[in-house]
Amino acid sequence: MSHEKDKLSAEAKNIPQGERKESRKAFIKEVMKMPGGEKILECIQCGSCAGGCPTRFAMDYSPMQIIKMINLGMREEVLLSSTIWVCSTCYTCTTRCPREVNFTMLMMSLKNEAIRKNLVKDGVNAKFHKYFFEVINKYGRMYEPELFFKLLDKTDVYSLRHSASLGLRMLRKGKMPIKAPKIEQTPWVSKMLEKTDEKGV
Amino acid sequence: MSQKPSVGIFICHCGGNISDTVDVARVKETIGTLDQVKVTETFEYLCSNPGQEMIKNAIKEKGLERVVVASCSPRMHLDTFRQVVKSAGLNPYLLEMVNIREQCSWVHDDKEKATNKTIALVRAAVQRALYLEPLTPEKLKVTESVLVIGGGIAGIYSALELADKGYQVYLVERNPSIGGHMAQLSKTFPTFDCSACILTPKMVSVAHHPNIKIFTNAEPILVRGFSGRFEVRIKVKPRYVDIQRCKACEECAKNCSVEKPSGFEEDLVQETAIHIPFKQAIPNASVIDKDYCLYLTDFLAILGPPGSRGVCGRCQKNCKSDAINFRQKDELIDLKVGAIIVSTGFSLMDSKLVGQYSFGFHPDIITNLQFERLMLQGLHKPSTGEVPKKVAFILCVGSRSEATDGYSSCCKIGCMTAIKDALLLDKAVPEAEPWIFYTDVRAYGKGYEEFYAKAREHLTTFVRGRAAEVIPNGNSLIVKAEDTLLGKQIEEQFDLVVLSPALIPNKDTKELADMLGIDLGPDGFFLEAHHKLRGVETKRKGIFVAGAALGPKDIRETTMESMAVASKVATFLGRGETSISPEVVYLIPERCDLCGTCVDQCPEKAITKGKNEVTINPISCNGCSICVPTCPKEALDLKNTTEEQMIAQIKGIAEGEGTALKIIAFIEKRTAYGSADLGGQSRRTYSPEIRIIRVPSVARLGIKHVLHAFAAGADGLIFVEGDDSTFKEDKVRERVILFKKDLGKFGIQPLRLQHSITTLPQYEKTLSLFDDFVERVKKMTPINKEKREELKKYLEGEKIVA
Repeated sequence: MSHEKDKLSAEAKNIPQGERKESRKAFIKEVMKMPGGEKILECIQCGSCAGGCPTRFAMDYSPMQIIKMINLGMREEVLLSSTIWVCSTCYTCTTRCPREVNFTMLMMSLKNEAIRKNLVKDGVNAKFHKYFFEVINKYGRMYEPELFFKLLDKTDVYSLRHSASLGLRMLRKGKMPIKAPKIEQTPWVSKMLEKTDEKGV
Repeated sequence: MSQKPSVGIFICHCGGNISDTVDVARVKETIGTLDQVKVTETFEYLCSNPGQEMIKNAIKEKGLERVVVASCSPRMHLDTFRQVVKSAGLNPYLLEMVNIREQCSWVHDDKEKATNKTIALVRAAVQRALYLEPLTPEKLKVTESVLVIGGGIAGIYSALELADKGYQVYLVERNPSIGGHMAQLSKTFPTFDCSACILTPKMVSVAHHPNIKIFTNAEPILVRGFSGRFEVRIKVKPRYVDIQRCKACEECAKNCSVEKPSGFEEDLVQETAIHIPFKQAIPNASVIDKDYCLYLTDFLAILGPPGSRGVCGRCQKNCKSDAINFRQKDELIDLKVGAIIVSTGFSLMDSKLVGQYSFGFHPDIITNLQFERLMLQGLHKPSTGEVPKKVAFILCVGSRSEATDGYSSCCKIGCMTAIKDALLLDKAVPEAEPWIFYTDVRAYGKGYEEFYAKAREHLTTFVRGRAAEVIPNGNSLIVKAEDTLLGKQIEEQFDLVVLSPALIPNKDTKELADMLGIDLGPDGFFLEAHHKLRGVETKRKGIFVAGAALGPKDIRETTMESMAVASKVATFLGRGETSISPEVVYLIPERCDLCGTCVDQCPEKAITKGKNEVTINPISCNGCSICVPTCPKEALDLKNTTEEQMIAQIKGIAEGEGTALKIIAFIEKRTAYGSADLGGQSRRTYSPEIRIIRVPSVARLGIKHVLHAFAAGADGLIFVEGDDSTFKEDKVRERVILFKKDLGKFGIQPLRLQHSITTLPQYEKTLSLFDDFVERVKKMTPINKEKREELKKYLEGEKIVA
């Protein structure tokens, strides 16, 4: 989907100055309306969030940089970044932020936004997000084998063999159930998910 | 009508500030047609010299007897224009000001509506002006002495300045010694002056100055009176040692068996329960910590004198000069002073509140003040006593924070302190590695940027990024942070971690502010009268503030403020006399039937009832006018806000053509009015239906005024009182509920009344209340003409009492 990014950037370049500021303002406003985005203008770029982030090594932009990019109106770069998908929602940044920016919640909102705008980088993270909620929707709780199979690339023999051996080991140690666990009121969970608009695509 | 005075009206453009939103020409035209108006002029800047000359000339040439100035807020220029009127030979109280900037042009966008509002406001002012009376403030001699609260560097410096000028100074300090935080410091930035070397001589001068009297272990508990003539009560807590007799030989401390963490050494070392606060302490005498002393904490001590039957008293036994006295009690001292200086300084935030830095979990995580003490004790790690090789300085701990436990302001000294400490460390331990984790280095003062450069030359490692966490790891400490300039996470081992906690107001600042009747800002520190022009004065005349009591500050700024405050106090006391506002309650004796209702109402106890008369003390009266509407015979009235003036103004503001809603807001003239002004300064727009009348207090209003307002055409009334007023919230509510009940009897919806209490920075709350109230009144069925006529007839026919 890289051509998508190029196209948008090219468009951005052709926008006249005044409109560009408008579009920047519009993006900031949009983010500020999202859950977690209320206080992004409060950010003083201190780096408390980035310094303590346990998954920072796998991110292309640090949490602090994401806020900066939002403030600069870099819509596509933010939504296409790996940061929003790598975030493990551990809330370390949120509890430490001196300006009370709810960064974890903002990451969730940006994931949803990225899916809605179809601005998802190739890779497993968005799929994971999507399948995760599909499974939840179906059973009312997590059922790992199904998520596992949904995520597997069935054409890749090497990875199939590797995954199979991992799966077997997990089964043997009782880390993975064979039978799908179902809760009593699965439809209620679906309804909840519908309401929160977390169903993925 | 012929005996009515002639009025001159002057309308200011304020260089477009007013004239861009208000059609000044139309105001001039409309107002010029009013009775008694002889002169109507507009001018670009009325406060400028030519503007003032114009007013003066008009008064002299046209023989004006009343002047109305429509311009900015009276908080801004009332004194200016009163001076103008006075110099033209008119009594200054014959001037009326209309605020058409902060409360009209700056807060409304609709030119038509803003102009209509201006016309109504000016018309009301003219109506009121016709009833103005000349008043003369009473003059009294000032007491030529000063109380300085707080004996840190700010208090010491201003006390010395004033004592040298010849004033008697009382220096009150809460701790057993003067000196404050500065006495604890090692070296000062950016010159490396030894803190004690520059402070101690000043402390000694204070102790020996014939014009200074020091009270240590003491606090003011009561402040009465008024500017120039304050009466202050000081409570001196027992020290259990006679300062005059104590020779500071420390024989007592050698024999004391109780140890406690030393407050002066920031809990890093232990001291005995009886001790001298520190070597250079003034007064240099021992003090007993009553929370630790075995004798004072022993409930059996009453059984016998110290030393008997197993009761401790070793210090007393060993004291050669017989200075120890366990029978000392709280001592109350009454002082008379002309001015008060508040120099109470600051506290350090508890670093435990920022949990990720593990403060309190490892002895080698310390504050910068503790580091100062470590430098003086000989630098070592508190845990093992080794010399630290790698030290992390973490800045902005709790500062620049919007979190619940944080403080929003910058601590102002953290960057420079850390840089100074890094350089000191570099000097003391040449192989040491200081790391500074900063958010932004703020090197704003004289010589500070050069100091920062020096630290870089000495290869101090600067990491741009607020440290994320400190993890105790056995004997060392791990600091995790993001170097935001490299975009990389770093994780380093350190021997010592020094935190720079936020500078916060002392925890009983609010109490002191209430006692003195002065304001606190939103940051919890004392609030100056004007951010730039009156930086060391408070809103209350005769009370001044200096140093870190106003906000975080370094020593240089503090001493400069101390000198400024000394100059201000000298100017104030140097006049020799103080004037009392003539705006006080007076009695109309022929109406009074000696019922005594007013006596109980007065919060200042200014009204006394004799056998044949009621007297009001004009010096005690603060003009709150709570008593006025409660008098059943209407025998009380307030000067400069008399009954006639009030009703004329209400009528003037509510009358007029048009179907637009008219909401009158009665606003208390100090805090609440200032709050509305702040709203104007921030250009927060609100409904132009709101028309503000400035009252000494909401307490001034009775049901008569409410009825007059509705009879004249008002559609709703709002009462806003300041939170620091003598008319407290419950009283305001009580009175408004009474109004609502009475209003119901006349067939007017009680919901047309609204009240609120506000603080100075809370303007947003008041202004949104205005908007909501206007929306509410808009939805109501309008009051018809017949109802208003009925009310008018009622008011003409019968007297009403609240």
